[in-house]
Amino acid sequence: MSPVNPLRDPQDRRLPRIPEPCALVIFGVTGDLARKKLIPAVYDLANRGLLPPAFVVVGFARRDWDDATFARLAREAAQEHARTPWREEVWARLATGIRFVGGSFDDDVAFDRLDRTLEELRDTHGIQGNVAFYLSIPPASYPVVLKQLARTGMADNERCGGWRRVVVEKPFGHDLASARELNQLVDEVFTPADVFRIDHYLGKETVQNLLALRFANTLFYPVWNNRYVDSVQITMAEDVGIGTRAGFYDAAGAARDVLQNHLLQLLTLVAMEEPTSFDAEEIRYEKLKVLKAIKLPEDIATGTVRGQYRQGWVAGQRVAGYLDEKGVPPDSTTETYVAVRLGVQNRRWAGVPFYLRAGKRLPRRVTELAVIFKRAPHLPFHPTDVEMLGNNQLVIRVQPEEGVVLKFGSKVPGTTMEVRDIAMDFQYGEAFTEPSPEAYERLVRDVLIGDSTLFPHADEVEQSWRVIDPLQEAWAGTRPEPYRAGEWGPRGADELLARDGRVWRRA
Amino acid sequence: MAALWDTTGTEVVRELAAARRSDGVTSGLVLTLVAVVDEQPGQTTPVKAVEDAATVAAAAHPCRLLVVTRSPAHEAPDRLDAEVVVGGRLGPCEAVIMRMQGRLALHAESVVMPLLAPDVPVVAWWHGPPPPQLGTDPLGVVAERRITDCAQADDPVAALRQRAVDYHAGDTDLSWTRLTGWRTLVAGAFDQVDEGTVVQRASVAAPANDASGALLAGWLAARLGITPELTDPGTGRVESVRLGLANGDEITIVREGSSARLHQPGQEDRVMPLLERTLGEELAEELRRLDADQTYAAALSAATGVSGLERRPATRVHTWVDPAEVAVGTVGHHEVMM
Repeated sequence: MSPVNPLRDPQDRRLPRIPEPCALVIFGVTGDLARKKLIPAVYDLANRGLLPPAFVVVGFARRDWDDATFARLAREAAQEHARTPWREEVWARLATGIRFVGGSFDDDVAFDRLDRTLEELRDTHGIQGNVAFYLSIPPASYPVVLKQLARTGMADNERCGGWRRVVVEKPFGHDLASARELNQLVDEVFTPADVFRIDHYLGKETVQNLLALRFANTLFYPVWNNRYVDSVQITMAEDVGIGTRAGFYDAAGAARDVLQNHLLQLLTLVAMEEPTSFDAEEIRYEKLKVLKAIKLPEDIATGTVRGQYRQGWVAGQRVAGYLDEKGVPPDSTTETYVAVRLGVQNRRWAGVPFYLRAGKRLPRRVTELAVIFKRAPHLPFHPTDVEMLGNNQLVIRVQPEEGVVLKFGSKVPGTTMEVRDIAMDFQYGEAFTEPSPEAYERLVRDVLIGDSTLFPHADEVEQSWRVIDPLQEAWAGTRPEPYRAGEWGPRGADELLARDGRVWRRA
Repeated sequence: MAALWDTTGTEVVRELAAARRSDGVTSGLVLTLVAVVDEQPGQTTPVKAVEDAATVAAAAHPCRLLVVTRSPAHEAPDRLDAEVVVGGRLGPCEAVIMRMQGRLALHAESVVMPLLAPDVPVVAWWHGPPPPQLGTDPLGVVAERRITDCAQADDPVAALRQRAVDYHAGDTDLSWTRLTGWRTLVAGAFDQVDEGTVVQRASVAAPANDASGALLAGWLAARLGITPELTDPGTGRVESVRLGLANGDEITIVREGSSARLHQPGQEDRVMPLLERTLGEELAEELRRLDADQTYAAALSAATGVSGLERRPATRVHTWVDPAEVAVGTVGHHEVMM
């Protein structure tokens, strides 16, 4: 481990934190994620000067490529998708550290070759045995690859004389049992502290800002409880359909695809207590407490809604229904929309419903968290004067335009006393117009530095499945309600809130 | 955009409010940046360079930009010309560009104060040779952060020494900002040496009259407790840093165009990016933090031999200097004039 560097001073905040010399091995380097996100993120990090002098990217895939072919394709991917300006000299430097190892995941020879390559790189590129393995592959292939890494000893920190880390993408299993199995496997091959589970939502600027908003200000803390909060709505709407993911999506559905990870993670960040410090361990501890306190609806049939989109119009285009999508069985009962009413059982949140919804082919792409406050207990106005006054709201918009909206009542200018809602809108793109780093850029750097704050831990994943599994059981054998593509979900979702005397926020 | 000729401060305030109402408001202002571009005899006013830099910096830190150009002349009548730009060519920046003449130029703060955005930090930036004492400029007194640029002085190293003499917490200099790339490389090279490695010698190749080179040596001296040797490469900029270790090994970082070659014992040489940044990007880095930069103070102290900088207060008190006296050469209480 690196000794104390006399040139680094905690007060000197101009110097960026740079990872130790290392290699990033990407399995499934021909896939979309690697091409569109990972390789561009590596270039952007290099361009910002955030990579160590000794840095190597090793691609692994079933292709008959040499280093130069891979370097050329990586260059195309970076050039097309990078967010920072293209600079030839930055790429030229990165390109000296690009390697490719071809082979299938069950090919012992290929993995032995990968191990040898990494050993050579230790000498030629000074990576000091530090390697992060990025599994950008279908979850079904995880066990094979992990076993190969164990067999060759590539995952062994001690044998390698450096750190060995592994990055896994969601889905982390498809239920509690499979998640446990997967966790056991990765934790066995690597040490638990070296496993990084990517939930790219947590890399987004606004999500991190939520913690700043809640714990750096005095303004919101006093009202952040059931005395003032009426309800919380978390929305993740997509206008796209399932695209080419029919095989995966039809087996999973909206609840497993996004509710289990993104939405529950967002819920924990809204509901968690103040951590004793911003240490990864402390934050995880508080998040886990929230997940354990989640209460499912007593009657799952009436407390949840599943939907499936039918043919309709989205953004001026006619789109096919889910059952007509390529690769979807015509009798599929998989949901493309899910809404659920959860509770958080603790003193702060008792009685406050958390409404979560996620769906495909909704009118627009938006992810937001809305904290809806109670109405004033007494309004000293004539009832007609406050007809237009709704609940105060604090909305944290995660995407597309990251920002915060505060909605409150204000007098309409004029001689009459009339109060109506206005929205005070803070946009990141306005107050800080510099484009925020891509979530993957931030997360890849965190992996290389070894900071696990923004990565869900195995306990959190397992606890999330404890929320999802009973829902899946109750839904077995039921059919999702249809909704027209381009609508805000099935009618049942509106009825779910109407029964509680509430309405969904038009996100 | 509105141009106001021969106007008053009140009129400028009114015009800015009107422009904000009609042209859309930059909500979320983070700070007010007061750019001082005093005219030098025989030079064209570099207001354009200031506008360009502020536009880049404002993309990261939305600000109200107040550009002040002063030409104090006793004989000339008092006159204020102003241009108000909101949401126009300066991007997310709302700006008032002002030119002041006559005795008004000595009281620029009377026009600037009512234009400061409420309750956000004020940063003063002198684009030009730094004044010997920032406290004599009322615009430097209202600011929490003061940015100078010694590289623009006739004798940058003497100007740097004067910055140390005149230092108050909250001062920084762009010749320090320009070093961040170098410092990142040197600190990065040092991340990989073994525990207990001692640096015995250090040398910095930089021009003798370069403020950045002096600060780089000062930083190494402050952090490593050695006295680096400065050699002039004859190229007009910082070219290399060499650190001699106790075991005889040497770490060297040598500039090669827009990259630098890093040599460490026992490892292959590596080439790292060493970026030339624009003035706007440098300014953006400066505006990122608005608290005192202690690392700069330590480096400045070591570079100039002026001690006790860390005990200097963060606020400045205005010192009145009669320009008539300065004009006839009575220096008064100035410690060093350039």
